[in-house]
Amino acid sequence: MPAITVRVNGLEVTKEVGARTLLSTFIREQLKLTGTHVGCDTSQCGACVVTLDGKTVKSCAVFAWEADGADIGTIEGLADGDKMHPMQEAFREHHGLQCGFCTPGMVMTAVSLVENNPDIDEDGIRHGLEGNICRCTGYQNIIDAVKTGAKAMRG
Amino acid sequence: MATYVARNGIGENQRRVEDVRFLTGHGKYIDDVNIENQAYAMVLRSPEAHADIKSIDVSEAAALDGVLLIVTGDDWKSTGYDPIPTKSAVRTFIDGSDMKVPPHHALAIDRVRYVGQPVALVVAETQDICRDAMELIEVDYESLPSVTHQSEAIKEGAPQIWDIAPGNVCLDFELGDEEVQKKAFADADHVITLNMVNNRVTATPMEPRGAVADFDPETGKFTLWNSSQNIHANRDTIADVVLKIGKENLHHIAPDVGGGFGGKNGVYPEPILILHAAKELKRAVKWINDRSESFLSDTHGRDQVSKVQIALDNDGTFRGLRTESVGNLGAFCGTVGSFTPTGGSSRTQGGPFKFDGIYYTAIAPFTNTCPLDPYRGAGRPEGSYHIDRIIDYAAAQLGMDPIELRRKNLIPPEALPMKSPMGLDIDCGNFPEVFEETIRISDREGYAKRVEASEAKGMKRGFGVCMYLECTGGGPKEEAKVTFLDNGKVELSVGTASTGMGHETVHAQLLAGHLGLAMEDIVFRQSDTDATEIGGGHGGSRGLEVGGSAVTQTSRQIIEVGKKIAAHRFDVDADKVEFEDGRFHVPGTNHTMTIRDAIDSQNDPDNLPDDLEPGCMNISSVFERGIISIPNGGHACEVEVDPETGTIKVDGYWVVDDFGTIVNEMLASGQVMGGIAQGLGQALMEDIYYDESGQLVTGSLMDYALPRADDMPRMVIAYYEDAPTEKNLLGVKGAGEAGCVGAPPAIVNAVCDALKEYGVHHIDMPLTPEKVWKAIRDAKATG
Repeated sequence: MPAITVRVNGLEVTKEVGARTLLSTFIREQLKLTGTHVGCDTSQCGACVVTLDGKTVKSCAVFAWEADGADIGTIEGLADGDKMHPMQEAFREHHGLQCGFCTPGMVMTAVSLVENNPDIDEDGIRHGLEGNICRCTGYQNIIDAVKTGAKAMRG
Repeated sequence: MATYVARNGIGENQRRVEDVRFLTGHGKYIDDVNIENQAYAMVLRSPEAHADIKSIDVSEAAALDGVLLIVTGDDWKSTGYDPIPTKSAVRTFIDGSDMKVPPHHALAIDRVRYVGQPVALVVAETQDICRDAMELIEVDYESLPSVTHQSEAIKEGAPQIWDIAPGNVCLDFELGDEEVQKKAFADADHVITLNMVNNRVTATPMEPRGAVADFDPETGKFTLWNSSQNIHANRDTIADVVLKIGKENLHHIAPDVGGGFGGKNGVYPEPILILHAAKELKRAVKWINDRSESFLSDTHGRDQVSKVQIALDNDGTFRGLRTESVGNLGAFCGTVGSFTPTGGSSRTQGGPFKFDGIYYTAIAPFTNTCPLDPYRGAGRPEGSYHIDRIIDYAAAQLGMDPIELRRKNLIPPEALPMKSPMGLDIDCGNFPEVFEETIRISDREGYAKRVEASEAKGMKRGFGVCMYLECTGGGPKEEAKVTFLDNGKVELSVGTASTGMGHETVHAQLLAGHLGLAMEDIVFRQSDTDATEIGGGHGGSRGLEVGGSAVTQTSRQIIEVGKKIAAHRFDVDADKVEFEDGRFHVPGTNHTMTIRDAIDSQNDPDNLPDDLEPGCMNISSVFERGIISIPNGGHACEVEVDPETGTIKVDGYWVVDDFGTIVNEMLASGQVMGGIAQGLGQALMEDIYYDESGQLVTGSLMDYALPRADDMPRMVIAYYEDAPTEKNLLGVKGAGEAGCVGAPPAIVNAVCDALKEYGVHHIDMPLTPEKVWKAIRDAKATG
């Protein structure tokens, strides 16, 4: 099995990966970072969103070997120690999550949306979150959370 | 029974305790449960809707390196395990004879009856080996004619699915006085009839089902971690009925559960199969469904075709209602599936409206589809759709105003309490006020301008309302157990099951509020057969109604014991001691004692009066609900329809709910908005669709459309709080399901309003662009 070397949440790791190991499986099972979730098998739900070299990807749609040499960010790396990222805080403040299963992917996507467009409006947020399905909230509190998170991220 | 008003706890938008865990990626869901040296299981599922299994050859698969165990139907037969039972509350035909319950074994024996039915279990060292092994299993099927639609299943000459169920009928049902209904129809000026479809949908929690089973050969005990909403009841069924290992030998636990909505309530085959495998292999076994398997094997919901008739007078007075439903049960009974189209859909017939007579009748046939079981609302969305669609349809046929029709016929508050024609105890509420408030908040003043703006773009705008009446359900008993730990923490164990609703917060909020404790000192446990003796789990919007009442009852008992401890210290009678804001005190004296002080005193006999034992404040109590509660409310909806493409944009949504007392409005509104999204999904896009050969066409998230962020409108949620119920200790009526009860009729009514100028007065759900476009085209063609 070939080995890959990646930086995950700032730490470099080298692991052997199988030819058909998905990046999501690699993150969950080999790195034990189980905050990245798998909710479907057709790259629709977005629960597995991570950043790969700064861009959000659905980690179930990438082979682990494709990430060789890349910088990966997962939900576990977002908080600063015990201090949650402003987007995480905003999700809690606005009740932007219920069962929590879609939440890691939703938050990773939201942070990236705001980083790419700090002044994003409600329409932009709704379209930007189209690749992340939440079955619990009806999205309204997520939208409000992203607005508040964006404001906090702008500082 | 007096309703209880807490000084603290009730009415606080407490932010959620569980959120930090979920937001930082530290939730522990079923796929995060791993046992050392666990094996992996996968299920080979039937590709045939109806077929005899002539043979299964597992030799090649079994020889594959890393394969540990393969179990087929023949193997299952030899184990002597029992089938999975059904627990429907309705169990007899109208004529009194028993419902037909075919044997639902965890693996298909000799014949398959739906696509996705488990045919074999494969256990191997890895999931990849399981997949490879499944490819190597040769099953020889001999196809049989199949039937997937309930209307076809009950026709003469339809393929017969079970020998014990002639005509494929599992059960029939009636409720209400047919003679009174018939007389009302005879006396009325008009009878309007509409055939309507309540489409088959599926709960689709974002976390697929899964389980991990372990077996200890030394003790003979099993442990099952299961993404289930109903830990205690399902333990009893699995251990006592199916495997016959004794429920004391099965420790059943749900870790964090990523959504359920009813779809994780039932007893499923897979956890049973892996318990068997764990025992055979003396090794932990893990099984996780993938999403495509979930569409095939998670129970489905709704799926009724109904003929609804309303009788009314020239002045709009409702006289009678008659609904004849045929509900598709799928190939087996499900855990309680046959209750949904029968009893479940009957009780709220007629909604909050006055009728002289209502009669409901249903037939529940088997088909070659995945079994039906509860999905959020389970019968009440169907009942609400019946009445609120027929009102709008009748209004269109008779040239009446659907809002005025509702206004005229709502049950007035002075008529309450009353027993509805369907036997519901409607104790309190103010339906006219809730309805008027719904209209008031829905920005009617700005409507004409918005219509104009839509018309200018070539769009059609419509407004629709629904006035729903629903009822709670689920197990009537619940336990709340409080244990004060030596480290100062307070363990609160409740038998309800949160799968995202926030019980970890709201139950703790209640306990903290009642006792004057700090939220952060409370450690919450649920969904664990070791945590509470009994547990009703999730279902029927019972979390606060029954679980919250149990927390309240236990809190009160703790306070009573605390009073005795305080009285002992102050040397006064216990009835002289009062409790307020976390302190026991004797009015008119300087005697005070904090609850913490009482807790710290409880383990030393010297601090206790003679009639108390050490540990006396550690209390568990069971609350039992007498009569189910009646949540009700109004939904209003505005839509914009593109007549050229048939696309629908839901553009505004307003709700006024009467849930009685609101304990945590933030959580209640979260439930309502999530329910509306599921109702919108059912109304506009979701459809479990089997083709004529019994293949599931909508078998992935590419084909089964779920609402996304840009499908949803901004929603305004308000509450009518002036009618708390006395049926439970908190005055609550249940909030969990109301959103998806009210949304489908409100949305379809709004679309039909938008399309009325074309003469389109009904379209069956889901209102996909194609169906809407065709309806407009057909209406134009017939002029």
